[in-house]
Amino acid sequence: MILSIIAYLSIVLFVGISVYKAYQFAGMPFHGRMDLYPVPKEKGYEHGGSYYEETAWWSKPHEVSHMREIIEMLKEIIFIKKLFENQRPFWWISYALHLGIYLIMAWTILLVIGAMFELNGILVAADSSSILGLLVFYLSIVTGYIGLALAALGSGMLFLRRAFDNTLKKYTTPQEYFNLLLIFVALITGIFTWGNDLSFGYAREVTGNLVTFTPFVADGLLTLHVVLVGIMLTYIPISKMSHYVGKYFTFHKVLWDNNPNLKGSGVEQQVKNAASFRPTTSWSAPHIKPPVAPEK
Amino acid sequence: MLDQKDLRPKDMGRSDEQLIKLDNLIPLLAPYDKPGMESPLTDPKPAWKEKYCTSLDGYIGIDTLTRPKSKEEEDEFVRKFLSGLEKIFSDANNGVLQPLLLSFEYCAKCNTCSDACHIYTAAGNNELYRPIYRSEVLRKIVKKYFTTSGKLLGGFVGADIDVNWETIARLGELAYRCNLCRRCAQTCPLGLDNAILTKEIRKIFSQEMGIAPTPLHTKGTMLQIKTGSSTGLSKPAFLDTLEFLEEDTEEKFGIKLKFPVDKKGADILVLHNAGEFMAWPENPVAFAILFDAAGLNWTLSSEIMGYDSVNYGLWYDDVQAKKIATMQMKVAKDFGVKRLVVAECGHAHKASMITADRMGTDRLPVESCLPLLWDMVKSKRLILDPSKNNFPVTLHDPCNVVRQMGIVEPQRNVLKAICPQFREMTPHGVDNYCCGGGSGFAIMNSANFPEFRTQVASRVKFNQILGAFKGTMEDTSTPKYICAPCSNCKGAMRGLLEHYDATEKYNLQYGGLVELMVNALVSLKKPFLEFLE
Repeated sequence: MILSIIAYLSIVLFVGISVYKAYQFAGMPFHGRMDLYPVPKEKGYEHGGSYYEETAWWSKPHEVSHMREIIEMLKEIIFIKKLFENQRPFWWISYALHLGIYLIMAWTILLVIGAMFELNGILVAADSSSILGLLVFYLSIVTGYIGLALAALGSGMLFLRRAFDNTLKKYTTPQEYFNLLLIFVALITGIFTWGNDLSFGYAREVTGNLVTFTPFVADGLLTLHVVLVGIMLTYIPISKMSHYVGKYFTFHKVLWDNNPNLKGSGVEQQVKNAASFRPTTSWSAPHIKPPVAPEK
Repeated sequence: MLDQKDLRPKDMGRSDEQLIKLDNLIPLLAPYDKPGMESPLTDPKPAWKEKYCTSLDGYIGIDTLTRPKSKEEEDEFVRKFLSGLEKIFSDANNGVLQPLLLSFEYCAKCNTCSDACHIYTAAGNNELYRPIYRSEVLRKIVKKYFTTSGKLLGGFVGADIDVNWETIARLGELAYRCNLCRRCAQTCPLGLDNAILTKEIRKIFSQEMGIAPTPLHTKGTMLQIKTGSSTGLSKPAFLDTLEFLEEDTEEKFGIKLKFPVDKKGADILVLHNAGEFMAWPENPVAFAILFDAAGLNWTLSSEIMGYDSVNYGLWYDDVQAKKIATMQMKVAKDFGVKRLVVAECGHAHKASMITADRMGTDRLPVESCLPLLWDMVKSKRLILDPSKNNFPVTLHDPCNVVRQMGIVEPQRNVLKAICPQFREMTPHGVDNYCCGGGSGFAIMNSANFPEFRTQVASRVKFNQILGAFKGTMEDTSTPKYICAPCSNCKGAMRGLLEHYDATEKYNLQYGGLVELMVNALVSLKKPFLEFLE
């Protein structure tokens, strides 16, 4: 029962804190332009161009492709494209971790689906007569094996690389080693917990019990694994490992935001709103005049 | 002094007289690869060590940053910095808060950005210039003083740096070892931008502590706000200069040139970097010849703030940047033109079209001269003969115009049309390297800073140039032209060519784009480019 609460609570906290962080970033003050090219939505993306390559650009329609922006973003999310292009050796281990995490997320969902199937009388096994049951069974095996192996390998390798690379270790704080270690240990306990049953039948059974709040006997290793995963899921969004939130804003709201301040545009309205704000703090250098008193 | 390989961010507070010494610059390409072709780097003079902060790498970027005379002064210096540091995360800094926090919080220290940096590369992968080194020092100070985790957990979260006068002064100097070219940001898998953090350090020094390099502040933005131009060029002097250039153009080329000044009913107000009138007057002359030849209805302004496009605030002080941008826009609007055209000045492009774009509403449209120039060529409004430019030409892409604005093709289209021997640098376009003069370096000439600019910051660019002209360098009868359509970049090129004596030895020339265009004009009876005479 307690393990069920930990499982539910950690997922709620993971999602809740992540959403709250995104909400906080989204609510931040309107900022100046910091576009950096190439910008995927631009017509001249292939050579890094922008609408400024046109004469009288303000009088012409700003042709943008949001589809290309989404495609480029997906390449970044799914493949970590920039790391692949600019630092291949590091990409291998970073991508192992990230791909492993994606597969574990898929595996977890498949375990829940599998548990639900079994509760409803659909056998999830190699000898199941149900096509869906077979599909979930084999997909669970593929995602589970590869996901756990890649993520454990990736987090372990990242830890070792940081610890032994002469450059990286100068910049890595103990907390950053802890972050990787936490993921690694949570994964290793998972591998030992579920590894006894390579068909993941035990994992499905435990998932079913956790999802339905059914009391069951949990050994020390399983308890440790669930507690560690719970801590990890809660800790990730409050740490800088929540870069999955930040990355949306760095690209879409900073580097790729080149919308001009044209008459009647949404940007113009935001500029007007920002101009009416009176800061409560001010700079102190002699060449800067004291600001207007803050509005009450 | 430390071996740079052993340098860690927390070493910034060490008491060493000088943290590191530059001694392993990358080699230059042929013909500068022979021994004795380059002067060795020098040590700072003893008197400078006593007065300034030479304790970083021996160079002095901030000539107004002087050593404290008492413990009280030292403490006050640190206190002021910390006060400013707190403010960059407050509503006083709303205009950059979101980008700043993102870059501050999310660095995974994957180190992908390092190889993108021309200064780090030029200095033989020197740890001090690694883009994340500076950022990490800043993070450590913030964590130590302004985060609960830092106060409670200290070194565990990285709050393990000694903060004293030396730490802060070195960090201030280190903020002037980056050209703010943002090439590193292009490679970051998380989209983070170390240049934002660098500029914030510069801002704390200027906006809170009142410390900034004299050429940028006292003789830069302050002089511009007072006189209308960072060159100190007054209205009468500006008008005299134009008159002289008109006479000179007639004398040299037989062209009866008349600069339109304060012309009522003009469509276009052309904004030049006023430094052009003094250092490269052929550039505004060329613009005038082309705009007249193309039949444009244009004018210059003689109003204060109307004849100098520069805005040095962009590099170190948001308040100054806003003051200047606002004043420039007001002059243009009062004038009644339909649009502003920014001539060949990279940072003025960015200042007036990107940075100032969200500094007010109901702005006049601003456009770059580059698409306009390409339009003149493409539409055949100019009768041009490319054979007049039949010598090797390469193009330098100003970071502000290209990487930070996406104006990539027009200038190379012009060159492809009028220069038969045009060749690209490697890499080019949005992947270009900075000239080494960016973010103020081109005009920072105090103490030994020009040595850092020329031999370190411009080093990769110089190699790019030598690479582009490979096979032609030794042929001194053939001029090789570096087209740099930006005043600051030209300033850096001038420094480079002078230092390496490259014009004298190898006939390496530099200039803007419009000079090449005028040189190709069929109507011109003699070469516009002096080195062709």
